[in-house]
Amino acid sequence: MNFDINTIVYILEILVGGLLVGIGVHFVPVGGAPAAMAQATGIGTGTVQLAAGSGLTGLLAAGLMMSVTDNLWLILASGAVGAGIMIGSTMLTGSWIYAYAVGVPFASAKVNYDPITGFSQPPYVAIGTVGHGIPTICFVSGLIGGMMGGLGGAMIYYPLYLINGNAALSAMFAIGIFLVNAVIASWNIQGTIEGFHDPKFKKWPFAFKACAIASILLALASVLITGGA
Amino acid sequence: MDAFSMGLIAAMGALATVAGASEDIESDIGSQSNPNSQVQLAAQVGNPHRIYNKAISGEPPANALWAATAAMVAYTLITAFQMPALLALVAGASVAALFNGVFSISSYFGRNSSQARFNQWVYMDIVRYTTPSIMAHAWITAFCIATISYIMVYMLPTPHPFPMPIIALIWGLAVGAIGSSVGDIHYGGEREFQNRQFGCGLNTMLSGQIVRKAEAGLRNSIDNAWFCTKFGGPATGMGFGLTVFLDNWRTTIFDPVTQASLAIAMGIFFIILMVVYNNYIERSVRAKYGPYPEYKGDIAA
Repeated sequence: MNFDINTIVYILEILVGGLLVGIGVHFVPVGGAPAAMAQATGIGTGTVQLAAGSGLTGLLAAGLMMSVTDNLWLILASGAVGAGIMIGSTMLTGSWIYAYAVGVPFASAKVNYDPITGFSQPPYVAIGTVGHGIPTICFVSGLIGGMMGGLGGAMIYYPLYLINGNAALSAMFAIGIFLVNAVIASWNIQGTIEGFHDPKFKKWPFAFKACAIASILLALASVLITGGA
Repeated sequence: MDAFSMGLIAAMGALATVAGASEDIESDIGSQSNPNSQVQLAAQVGNPHRIYNKAISGEPPANALWAATAAMVAYTLITAFQMPALLALVAGASVAALFNGVFSISSYFGRNSSQARFNQWVYMDIVRYTTPSIMAHAWITAFCIATISYIMVYMLPTPHPFPMPIIALIWGLAVGAIGSSVGDIHYGGEREFQNRQFGCGLNTMLSGQIVRKAEAGLRNSIDNAWFCTKFGGPATGMGFGLTVFLDNWRTTIFDPVTQASLAIAMGIFFIILMVVYNNYIERSVRAKYGPYPEYKGDIAA
C-alpha cells in the first residue's frame, strides 16, 4: 500500500473515533450488578456491554448510510442517532421496571439536587442503597455517552471502508477497536458511574491517554490491511 | 417507501419484540447476568437453593454468540446449498440452541459443584427439566434475530451492506444489553427479594438472602420465569422492538439517498420524546410514592 497523506488522515480519524468511544463510556450511567437489584443509580448492566450494544447499533445505521452516500457528516450523524435510539429505548423501558415493578422513585446519591430538573435527591434514596432508577440527569448523560459511542463507531468504520472497500471486514475491525476502547474506559470507571455529574467522571484524562495509545496502535495495524476477506 | 417494505419493517419490529421477551426469559430461567450475583452469593451466606445457575458470560456476548451462530449456519445453507430461507433459519436456530444447552449444563455443573463446601447440591432433576426451557427460549431469540438479519440483507429496498452473521452479532449484542438492563431488574430487584418491604431498593444487608420457597414447595427457576413473563420479559421486548423498529422505520419512510437529513431529524425527535417521557415518569413516581420516612437529613423533599 502507499503510505501518503490520506493514510495519516485515516489514522487520525480512527484515533478520534477511539477517543470518542473511550470518553463516551464515561457518560453512560451504569450501576452494574447492584443497579439490577435497585441498589445503585443507573442502568443495571456493565459499562462495556451497554456501550457496545448502543455504539454498534449506531454502526449498523452508519453502515447502511455509507452504502448509499459518501457524505461524512450524514454517516456520522446517522451513527450517533442510531445509538441514541437504542440507549434511549433501553433506559426508558428500564425506567418502567424501576417505577412500576420495583416501585422506587428515581434518585441519585452522588448529588443533592439534580442539576437539570433541580429535584432534591437524598430524601428519595432508600436506606441501605446508593440511589436507584434513572433520574433525568443520568438519562441525558446516557444519551450523550451512547451517541458519542455511535459517532466513534461510525468514525472508525468510515476510513476503514475507504481503505479496503469491504463492509464486512471494516465492520469487524470497527467492532474490535470499539471494544478495546470501551474496556479500557471501563477499567478507569471501576464498575459503576452515574454520568458526567459523578465525581468519578473527573478521571477521564487517564482513559483519554490510554485510549489514545491503544487507538494509534490499532489504527496503524488496521490501515495496513487493504483487503483479503 | 412502499407498502411491502413498511410491512417488512413491521414484521421486524414484531420479531424483535418476541426476541427481546424470549431473551429476557431465557436469562431469568437460567439466572444469567447481574442478578445471578445474588444466586451465587446465596449459598455462600448459608442459603443453598434450587435455582438454576448459569453465568456463561454477560448476556450481550452470550446472545451475540447464539444469534451469530444461527445466522452463520443459515447463511451457509442458503448460499452454498440453496436451501429455502425459512428452513435454513430454523436449522441455524437449532444449532444455536444446542450450543446454548451445552454451555448451560456445563455452567450449572461447574458453578454448583464448586460450591459443594457451602452445602449447595447439584440437582439432576433441575438440569433435566430446566435446560430444555432455556434452550427453547434461546432458539426463539436466535431464530428471530437471524430472521431480522435476513430481512435486512435480502429483502429491504435498501439492502444492508454487512453480511448476515455480522448484523446478527450486533443485534445479539444489543438484545443482550437491553435484556440485562431492563428485564433483569424485574428478576433481581423484585422477584429474588420478595421477602423484603416493597418499594425500596435492596438493602446491602440483605445481599444473598434470596427467596427460596415457592407458593408450594421450593422455588425453582421455572417459577421465576412465570413471574418475569408478566412484566420483565414484555418490557425487554418493547425496548428491543422500539430500537429495531424506530431505527429502521426512519430510514425506510425517508429514502436514505435523497432524504437522509429528514431520517436523522426524525431520529433526534424520537430521542427528545424519550427524554420527556422519562422525565414524566420520574415526576409522577416522586409525586405518588413520596420521600422515604426514614430520611433524617435536612434537604427538603
